[in-house]
Amino acid sequence: MWHITKREIYDNLNSLRFALTTVLLLALMVTNAVRHIREHPKRVQTYRDAVTESSARLTAHADGSLYKLAQYGPGNFYKKPSSLHFCANGGESILPDTIKVGDPPVFATDSENRVILQGVWSLSYPDANLQNKNVGPKVSQVDWAFIIGSILSLIALWFTFDAFSGERERGTLRLMLANSIPRHTVLIGKFFGALISISIPFALAALVNLLLISTASTVHLTTEAWGRLGIIFALALLYTSLFVALGLLVSARVQQSAVSLMILLLMWVTLVVFMPSTLASIASSFSPATSFDEFWKQRNPIEEDLWDKYDEWLWSSKVDDKTLRGKSAFFTENAEREERRHEERLRYRSSQVYRARAITSISPATLLQHLIEGFAGTGFERHLQFVENTQRYARQLREFVADTDRADPESPHILGVREGMSKKFITPESVPRFEDTLNLSRDFNTAAMELLLLTLFVLVLLSGAYLAFVRVEV
Amino acid sequence: MMLTLIRRELLDNLMTFRFAVAVFIMLFLVVANTAVLIKDYERRLAGHKTEVQKSRKYMLDGKTYSVGELNIDRPPNPLSIFNAGLDKRLGNEIWVYYGHVPTLWDAEKHSSQNPFMNILSSIDIVFIFEGVLSLLALIFAYDTLAGEYERGTLRLVLTHPVSRGYILVAKYISAMVCLLVPLLMSLILAMFLLTTSASFSLSMPDFLRIGGIIFASIAYLSVFYLIGMLISAMTRRTSTALMLSMFVWGFLVLVYPNMIVAVIQPSNPPEERRASVHNHIKQIWEEFERERKQFLATDRHLEGDPYGNMRWRGGYNFEHFQDKASVLQHYYYAGAEIDGFHEEPESQALHVQNYHRFLVPLIIDTAERTWRIREPVLEELFILPATIDRAWLRLSPTGIYDVATQALAGTDLQGMQDFFTAVQQHRQSVIDYYYDKNAFGSRQWFSADKETVDWRTLPQFIFQRSDISLNVQRALPDLFLLLTLNIVLFIGVFLIFVRREV
Repeated sequence: MWHITKREIYDNLNSLRFALTTVLLLALMVTNAVRHIREHPKRVQTYRDAVTESSARLTAHADGSLYKLAQYGPGNFYKKPSSLHFCANGGESILPDTIKVGDPPVFATDSENRVILQGVWSLSYPDANLQNKNVGPKVSQVDWAFIIGSILSLIALWFTFDAFSGERERGTLRLMLANSIPRHTVLIGKFFGALISISIPFALAALVNLLLISTASTVHLTTEAWGRLGIIFALALLYTSLFVALGLLVSARVQQSAVSLMILLLMWVTLVVFMPSTLASIASSFSPATSFDEFWKQRNPIEEDLWDKYDEWLWSSKVDDKTLRGKSAFFTENAEREERRHEERLRYRSSQVYRARAITSISPATLLQHLIEGFAGTGFERHLQFVENTQRYARQLREFVADTDRADPESPHILGVREGMSKKFITPESVPRFEDTLNLSRDFNTAAMELLLLTLFVLVLLSGAYLAFVRVEV
Repeated sequence: MMLTLIRRELLDNLMTFRFAVAVFIMLFLVVANTAVLIKDYERRLAGHKTEVQKSRKYMLDGKTYSVGELNIDRPPNPLSIFNAGLDKRLGNEIWVYYGHVPTLWDAEKHSSQNPFMNILSSIDIVFIFEGVLSLLALIFAYDTLAGEYERGTLRLVLTHPVSRGYILVAKYISAMVCLLVPLLMSLILAMFLLTTSASFSLSMPDFLRIGGIIFASIAYLSVFYLIGMLISAMTRRTSTALMLSMFVWGFLVLVYPNMIVAVIQPSNPPEERRASVHNHIKQIWEEFERERKQFLATDRHLEGDPYGNMRWRGGYNFEHFQDKASVLQHYYYAGAEIDGFHEEPESQALHVQNYHRFLVPLIIDTAERTWRIREPVLEELFILPATIDRAWLRLSPTGIYDVATQALAGTDLQGMQDFFTAVQQHRQSVIDYYYDKNAFGSRQWFSADKETVDWRTLPQFIFQRSDISLNVQRALPDLFLLLTLNIVLFIGVFLIFVRREV
């Protein structure tokens, strides 16, 4: 078998297609690296500035009374740009990168515009950016996901379309099978031969790309990032083997290599180019959107209901326990409901996107896209992770406020109203800070299903190729 | 002789497996996607209709001139199913306010779809053609000359007294005829689907536009066929020709258009210039504000209050500066809808009317002045980079084809701008109408106590998509480019083939 593999590799190394492939992949990878080096520092800088500002806001809120922290909460949250942004862009320009913490709502002011009734902070999730100012041409990003998903798969077909049909045309297949080699050995030899000869230019191009990126002083890759890159490289090989298997299958069934290439190309166009878009269009037609009017329509009765419930306490300026508790309950409930409504809206929309993603997953190209996005820490999955991180932190901060208040025996323990909370001073250093983190094991868990599907695709096609080749007449 | 040659080539091509596959794949892709696209268009159209009704209701709700909400919604272009261009992407809801010149950059998007869905890719018929037609053309072309050479039949043919040019022309014509079959069949089915859908009302010019798109598609197809022939004439073996053809296809269709946009330095929007112009616009409005304050101060009846300190029986008013630095938006926005006054002396209201008679023309004038500054900068910030990108894309036939069909469908930037120009004209006619009615100096400008505004006499907004001749005019340079490319390629093939040894 090793002989066959070696022969295949030598055959391929000397061919025109090998040279062209190397040039093409190198050009793409260098483009990708140059663009990343040019743009990533800007992204990081914007993020840093935003985080510094947000952190300063938290410090300002925490410097002084606990009430101010409970009322104003933290600054806005920002999504940390992934250092593997060059692997998959993942619609980053469309997904929002902030979660806003609005100023506490003012419910009532007196005649001189002094606030007399003010609630507490809550999270709100911004909409996706519509990009309706962009009048440029529509192109896909040259990231690894594109290079692997579209180009590498095409190259895989390019290397395998004549694997059997070409040999049959030249008559060498008969010669080879005249030796006492079992057919599956031939198949596996061919499979690895093709896979390795595709991996060589790809690995070379990827190395040049990473070399450029890692030597640039402005971009920093951590050990974890290298681990993730390793996974992405393995994914690329898995995905390539899918198309190698497809190429072998068709090549074994078809008599002429030209016909084989044509069938393969048309299959490729359908699988990689059209299926994702067409399925996405179909999926989005199933997804009606709730308009903003409906959002308000849902909001108003709840709001009125709340006002009715707590009306008797809101307008009194007494500071007895009952009034304060009434106000506190109103504020917290109001913030909770506001937050929940925003969250429900986000969840409704995410579920639509999820469904659409599930439908488009029939195409292996989309599967790969999702997987690379998942491991590169970009894209939709990552956005939801960011949302989760913020929610966790918001809980943590609220607990911190409650705990600090509980620790003070003099406080009446009524959160959200000035008179009901601890008067002790707190220091900004003691307040927990937000950090947007990525979790590799979580990424693995979310990717498991898609990984399995992709592997299944490969296995099915490989066994198909085996069956086809075993039954072929030479 | 020519006829015999063509007949032979035609039969050769028609009886092949690849022809069957070509027909099948084209029919399958085009029909499946057209069905999906029609559905998508119907949804957008429904969204547009509800939006139009809503904005009409809002308009009729306004009781005074100054609070009139005149929203205009851009209808989806039915030809966007051929080439979506910018039709889906750009804003489709624009607000007509006398104190601000509306542009594409001020438009918003009405929410008929979940905005997160935009991370999924979208498709149109021209996109299918870009990928599949070019591929089919190359598949038909790669062995026309190399194959005959390999089989030895080329020598046989050339022993007859036929000139080589004839052979080339015969091959070209017959292959094009074969390739036209799947193209036209799929288009006819697509058109059939279009006519069965109730929401599509295609006019005669629309059919002509579609005809233009078909013409562009044929030119595009022919470019790739000639590229294939060129490769076939240069190589001696079909396998090499096939390999090279696929490489060229991958490069021209897939790699180049995406790579070039990533490579060219995104001309950094001149942040400083944007900021300075924004400041300039702000200054002009500050100047306006001073003038306004001065007027209020000089009229001693008003005592600095636009409504003369009269006490109201209900109603509301607002007054602020709208600001959006990213699109250089800055304007003064004010209005009032007062239900009535307590014990109001008639003369006081006249002073308020007088103030508005002075103020509104000043607002309009200031808006015009800022517009003259804003327009060229918007062009520089948004349109110039896009134009540069498109110019680079034209180095690939795919780019030329895309731009040409966009222009024909009317979904290109200019087609979009037509709409916003119409909106600007509408704003002008609304202002003229206000002048005619003497609206600024009237009591109905701010108060609804005596009479409310009859919005039904307001000039209606009508938008006609640009004339077909204009579409053709816009597409002409690119169509010309495609045709020139065809001729150049054909000459290239001819020269190589004539000098080739058999």
